Amino acid sequence: MGLSTATTSVSEAIQLCVFDSRRGQQEGQELDKILFFYPADLPFTKQLYIIGLSEGLITFTRTFSPEAACEVIEAEKHSHVFFEAEQDIWMILVVEKNKELEAIWRMDALQKLLKEIHSLFLMFHGSIRLLLEKEPTGEASRSHLYSFITDYLNACEKRSALDRCCCDFLVGKKLQLPSFVDCLKERGTVQMLTIGRDAAIEVQALVRTLDSCIGNASCHSLILFQDLLVSTTLSPDDTTNLFSYAVLRLTPRVLSSGTSSWSYLIRGNAASHVAQHGGNVGNRVIRPLQHGKWSKGKDGFLETDIWGMGASGWVGSTPKICLFQTEEQMYLYVYQNKSLTLILLVPVSSVPNEELGISIVRQHILENASLKIMKVEETLSKGWGGENAYHVGGYRYLLVDGDRQVSRASPPGKVTTLAKESLLAMSKLREKVDLEKSRAKQDSVDEEKELEVTIRAKNNAWAISRITRGKELYMVLEKANETLLYASDMVEKFSNRYCNGAFSLD
Amino acid sequence: MSSGLSSLSSSDELDNFNPRTSPTTPPKPLEEELASLALTLPRPELLSDQEDVNVVSDGSAADGFGFGIQRSDEESRVGVVCEENVVGNSAAAVVVEGETGNSVREGIDGTGVVWGRTNSEIEVDRPVSPSSSGYAGERGSSGASSGRSEMDGIADDEIQELNDDVSVGDNSNSVHSWVPGKRHGDEDDASISWRKRKKHFFVLSHSGKPIYSRYGDEHKLAGFSASLQAIISFVEDGGDRVKWVRAGKHLVVFLVKGPIYLVCISCTEEPYESLRGQLELIYGQMILILTKSVNRCFERNPKFDMTSLLGGTDVVFSSLIHSFGWNPATFLHAYTCLPLAYGTRQAAGAILQDVADSGILFAILMCKHKVISLVGAQKASLHPDDMLLLANFVMSSESFRTSESFSPICLPRYNPMAFLYAYVHYFDANTYFMLLTTNSDSFYHLKECRIRIETVLLKSNVLSEVQRSMLDGGMHVEDVPVDSLPRYRTISPHLGQQRVPSEFTERFKESSAGMGGPGGLWHFIYRSIYLDQYVASEFSSPISSRQQQKRLYRAYQNIYDSMHDKEIGPHKTQFRRDENYVLLCWVTQDFELYAAFDPLADKAMAIKICNRVCQWIKDVENEVFLLGASPFSW
Repeated sequence: MGLSTATTSVSEAIQLCVFDSRRGQQEGQELDKILFFYPADLPFTKQLYIIGLSEGLITFTRTFSPEAACEVIEAEKHSHVFFEAEQDIWMILVVEKNKELEAIWRMDALQKLLKEIHSLFLMFHGSIRLLLEKEPTGEASRSHLYSFITDYLNACEKRSALDRCCCDFLVGKKLQLPSFVDCLKERGTVQMLTIGRDAAIEVQALVRTLDSCIGNASCHSLILFQDLLVSTTLSPDDTTNLFSYAVLRLTPRVLSSGTSSWSYLIRGNAASHVAQHGGNVGNRVIRPLQHGKWSKGKDGFLETDIWGMGASGWVGSTPKICLFQTEEQMYLYVYQNKSLTLILLVPVSSVPNEELGISIVRQHILENASLKIMKVEETLSKGWGGENAYHVGGYRYLLVDGDRQVSRASPPGKVTTLAKESLLAMSKLREKVDLEKSRAKQDSVDEEKELEVTIRAKNNAWAISRITRGKELYMVLEKANETLLYASDMVEKFSNRYCNGAFSLD
Repeated sequence: MSSGLSSLSSSDELDNFNPRTSPTTPPKPLEEELASLALTLPRPELLSDQEDVNVVSDGSAADGFGFGIQRSDEESRVGVVCEENVVGNSAAAVVVEGETGNSVREGIDGTGVVWGRTNSEIEVDRPVSPSSSGYAGERGSSGASSGRSEMDGIADDEIQELNDDVSVGDNSNSVHSWVPGKRHGDEDDASISWRKRKKHFFVLSHSGKPIYSRYGDEHKLAGFSASLQAIISFVEDGGDRVKWVRAGKHLVVFLVKGPIYLVCISCTEEPYESLRGQLELIYGQMILILTKSVNRCFERNPKFDMTSLLGGTDVVFSSLIHSFGWNPATFLHAYTCLPLAYGTRQAAGAILQDVADSGILFAILMCKHKVISLVGAQKASLHPDDMLLLANFVMSSESFRTSESFSPICLPRYNPMAFLYAYVHYFDANTYFMLLTTNSDSFYHLKECRIRIETVLLKSNVLSEVQRSMLDGGMHVEDVPVDSLPRYRTISPHLGQQRVPSEFTERFKESSAGMGGPGGLWHFIYRSIYLDQYVASEFSSPISSRQQQKRLYRAYQNIYDSMHDKEIGPHKTQFRRDENYVLLCWVTQDFELYAAFDPLADKAMAIKICNRVCQWIKDVENEVFLLGASPFSW
């Protein structure tokens, strides 16, 4: 199996597993289904219990709902969230509910977490099914999943000092997952920097330079300022994935934060497991989410040994990713100038060899783009309003553009000023709205969901949700006047001022 | 021997038949009491045939404890004689059933339970006589007799794909009659049609034995039932308890009540709390028929088969399930009153109070599901849910209509362990009267009470006022006062008032011509917290079809659910606009208002109208509510 049973008891508050329902169909072979299980030292009987229950309900619900698989099991003490990552490959997250208020989850947020793990996995390793087909014993898949998900869960460090709950899953020995306090955030979306017209023209010019770095080959680029996206030439899915990765591992904030928040204990464990798995395969497991593995070189390019350290420095070691839709293999180059991070993707097929590739790109950047980069960085820094740039006084909001997978929200530091009751009311409202959105999607009618909900909660806060033409607005107003009309007026003003009137009624 | 179904249901014979459980009967052991239920259940002519009784005792012999008719008192012999009369007839019907479809296989099963069920199918298949459709015109229609095909067409929660057809059919006629009873009894979990039904309800025992299924044949669903049981117990083995499972649009809701498991599988978009509430009501209905003592049967024999005890009660459950789609009492946990002039209701109350002092627990005068008056003995209070279940039991059982009856019933919220005895008598097609007592041999006393009451009710014109109110209907959204002047008026014959043509009125009228009430108001429900009562407006033209009404109720259920969140509720206000409605909801300490408007309604106007509605209800509250009834202390 390759999964060790340690004797240490790990909190069972959260369990995460990946299993393949095509495997282990004969009695006694059930363990073969398990591709990943957290905590790994949970007794096999308990692991099999989760998988048995999940499989049972998947089969059961298909009787009535053949087109949509089982999504959630809600029990008195636990919630099980399902995500069918690939056909017959399921990711199940089990969260324990306890008396603490924090343990109130929004199912869609948890499902999006599973989806993010899988999307990132696809980007770096390709599909799990493909891995299983290449190597039917499942050893390679297991060791890849093990290190990948463990790195994701354990080593996610703080996105920013104030953004405590966004990505810091590990607090002590307990994983902390997005709960109701994160109701004004949307995983799986990109946060954009708003730029003026002049800056946009400069960025445009820079993008053109970057994308032509290797002659006619179709290169792509992604530019970030701080943790915000400035431009992309990738599809929304790939943008989201790379953006998530950049914010986790590449941006200046991450690089400068060092390894202080990194638990030595956990790293020790993870390393030993990986050694165990990796050793069996004889095929080195790449761990792109491993913490602290990226560093900035003298020439501004980020370097890492995640992909290995070839004899001549770069051979066999250029980071590679796989694009979501085209499944095209791309080399990943990252260049940084102060707050500006540039990600360049070059088709593997267009580079004769890795060593040549990096040198061409390096030369191109340094010769043709470095001036532009400096200029853009300067312009953006000048216009940058700081951490609270997108704060709007009196409002706590989240804006989501579903089509573009873009979101903008009140700064986390401002959201934390809200009362728990208000956040809870918002989270519950979102849960309802999530459900209605997914139903509308299943109805697959062309017309998009239109919805307006305004709730005055027990603590007198207003929880507001508006959906129109694929755009969503969520808002908590605590200091608003009593009347519904006043609250609506607040939304109207916000919509006119910040959303080009997208949510205005007239 | 030759007396047929029709002759048996004539009131003469039933008069002798029904009070059977009354006088001189010594306190009976539980099993006997339960067994006797098979005899007192609705439509005794149909379900208490000899097969049934024999089978029950067979089953119980096998189960190791004495069921069935071992009573030696005269009364029960009378009952048995009557039953023998039915046998030939019912058996013949069974054969016919067998030929047409499904009951042959069940017969082979050898479990006696079969007969009870087969009987209920006869019930459904029986042609509906106009006078017997108790559910005809729930909303005031008098078009009682519609054919079977129509019935099927509008049956609650049909297969999803049929939806379009249904609504097309619906447009032609606003209100169809609905006849309770099992549908699609030939289906099982292998049938595609069965799988596509929008809302399933199952009751099973903790050993996985089927007890009730809304669609399909319980016995063919044994395998399915076992898998439901497996899910519940698997989670229990893990030290937890499953509440619900969601897959796409489907929600599977589980409710465990001791040895009885209830499951709902629905894609109607109703929220968990609503569906759970519905399962609670189904369980309550079961308790109403059997009391919670039925648990003891499971203690003695975990594999106890409960279907025999519920034989013939399909109609009761199907009509309860039907009411989930039209009766707001099912989620508001409040009851509603027939609108009556204050004096009339007072008069009715006084008469009831008179008899209530003579050892009667509750005296209730109702018109369909609406209360005319209700009186309880000191300190006794009736929970709205109990009222709902009791009214459903009485209205869905044909036998109560045909003669006075005396039947053991249990009020689950009052005392789930014990039977009360209900004397039921219909004054006319819709108006009925119930006396509840703890005394099993007070039939003749209650009969006398009823005669006294009936005389007074007739003399004081209460019954004719009731008839008039029925015809006039309740509050109409078109009558919402639109000028701000306070008005004092009598509502009879209408709850509305003479409209004063003013500029304001005209403006409202223009905006809502032919589209419900002012400001685009389509419907409202007002619930008084202290009274445990609600009043709902009549449906206006934009929601005239059954489908539209059901959709509106589901929207209300959803908004009710979101307002009353267990952790953070209740919220104070909610405004919601989607493609179907604008819904405005307002919860205060005194009342809750739910109002539905045209989706394009103006927000400010809608708020104004809601205020008007509240004022209007306050103005007429002594006509739409039963005031001064003992507060419900739950």
